[in-house]
Amino acid sequence: MSKAVGWGAPRDAGWALPRPVEAGRSHEGAALEKAVGRAWRAPALWSLGSSAFSVTGLADPGRAAAAASREMFFRAAWSLVLRRGGLGSRGIHSPGDTAHSKGKMPPYTNYHAQRSYPMPDEPFCTELNAEQRALKEKEKGSWTELSHAEKVALYRLQFHETFAEMNRRSNEWKTVMGCVFFFCGFTALLIWWQRVYVFPKKPITLTAEWKAQQLQRILDMKGNPVQGLASQWDYEKKQWKK
Amino acid sequence: PFQLGFQDATSPIMEELLHFHDHTLMIVFLISSLVLYIISSMLTTKLTHTSAMDAQEVETIWTILPAIILILIALPSLRILYMMDEINNPSLTVKTMGHQWYWSYEYTDYEDLTFDSYMIPTSDLKPGELRLLEVDNRVVLPMEMTIRMLISSEDVLHSWAVPSLGLKTDAIPGRLNQTTLVASRPGLYYGQCSEICGSNHSFMPIVLELVPLKHFEEWSAS
Repeated sequence: MSKAVGWGAPRDAGWALPRPVEAGRSHEGAALEKAVGRAWRAPALWSLGSSAFSVTGLADPGRAAAAASREMFFRAAWSLVLRRGGLGSRGIHSPGDTAHSKGKMPPYTNYHAQRSYPMPDEPFCTELNAEQRALKEKEKGSWTELSHAEKVALYRLQFHETFAEMNRRSNEWKTVMGCVFFFCGFTALLIWWQRVYVFPKKPITLTAEWKAQQLQRILDMKGNPVQGLASQWDYEKKQWKK
Repeated sequence: PFQLGFQDATSPIMEELLHFHDHTLMIVFLISSLVLYIISSMLTTKLTHTSAMDAQEVETIWTILPAIILILIALPSLRILYMMDEINNPSLTVKTMGHQWYWSYEYTDYEDLTFDSYMIPTSDLKPGELRLLEVDNRVVLPMEMTIRMLISSEDVLHSWAVPSLGLKTDAIPGRLNQTTLVASRPGLYYGQCSEICGSNHSFMPIVLELVPLKHFEEWSAS
């Protein structure tokens, strides 16, 4: 189980399980089945459109091997980087998703999946019961003999969330926008109070009459005649130029 | 109403400065839009590549290119700087001394003429005058003639600035600063003290009244 290798390692034939036995998973209902069904294609998106990595492609062992080797090379290079870099900053409790808190997560695992590194080398479930071990053995054989349910079970052993689950949207934005608007409104109230009770009187030069006289004075002395104010005034027709 | 950009140039130097500003601002806009485009394309892609990269070619480009851009900005700038200091044989010399909080002007070429220039308070403004910009005694100068301004201060730092002529010179106590003034149009040109000098720093404006030479001679004779 500690080998840092992906799908390509042949294993003995196992026994299908719909889902691994694990705490914290029971509350996710049948909707996941559908999500997983869609998500089989998600890894394909991630590996830059390489379609061979989807489950449907796995029906052909030759293409699977090629895709897997490509995938392995990519992940081996990645794992080199990551072993040096370390992923401790993310923490175990939120692999790739901070807004949703799981129930009980097993602590101190080696499974660190992030949005930028969605499929880590270490599998999600490392302690397998007898059924699961049998399934892993079956996986070492030909994959065409695995039923759909078995494949789903193997996926669930290897990964915590599907791509669909990982990328799900949340309602956080509504909370954020609500708070933003609330504080804007509060600030507006403060400013209104300030206008009424704090600000001194406006100077006389801001009345419309004064501003008109000021404008006339500037036009009379031809202030900014090249491209500015007076250049926009037609002195013959005594109106603004159109 | 409102203004976006500089006041119209009243002297040749200011015209040069306007063109230089357009040139530099265009460069700045180009760089900003390039950066904005790069940021938006970085943020709106689903591709990820987070391993270390070796990028010698682009590193060279973005070291050499800014150096070229800076040279393109510096050359016109230096040209204008030296243009400001050209020898131009001024025909008149006016001294201005900054005080807290007014300016005083001395015309001592042919006679002793000295006066102070205080701001007109808002309550004393005549209708249509500009608030915080009008003074009681304006600086009358002949237009289209090179004038030497000697600027200093009697107490603290001030700065004698007239934006539409492209002038801003610090008034430093104990030091005499010189600048030349050439106006191509008659009229009133306003400026404000541009170095913090105390509580009434915002209330010591400068008003130049540029008039034809005959009028100037009449004025100074009176």
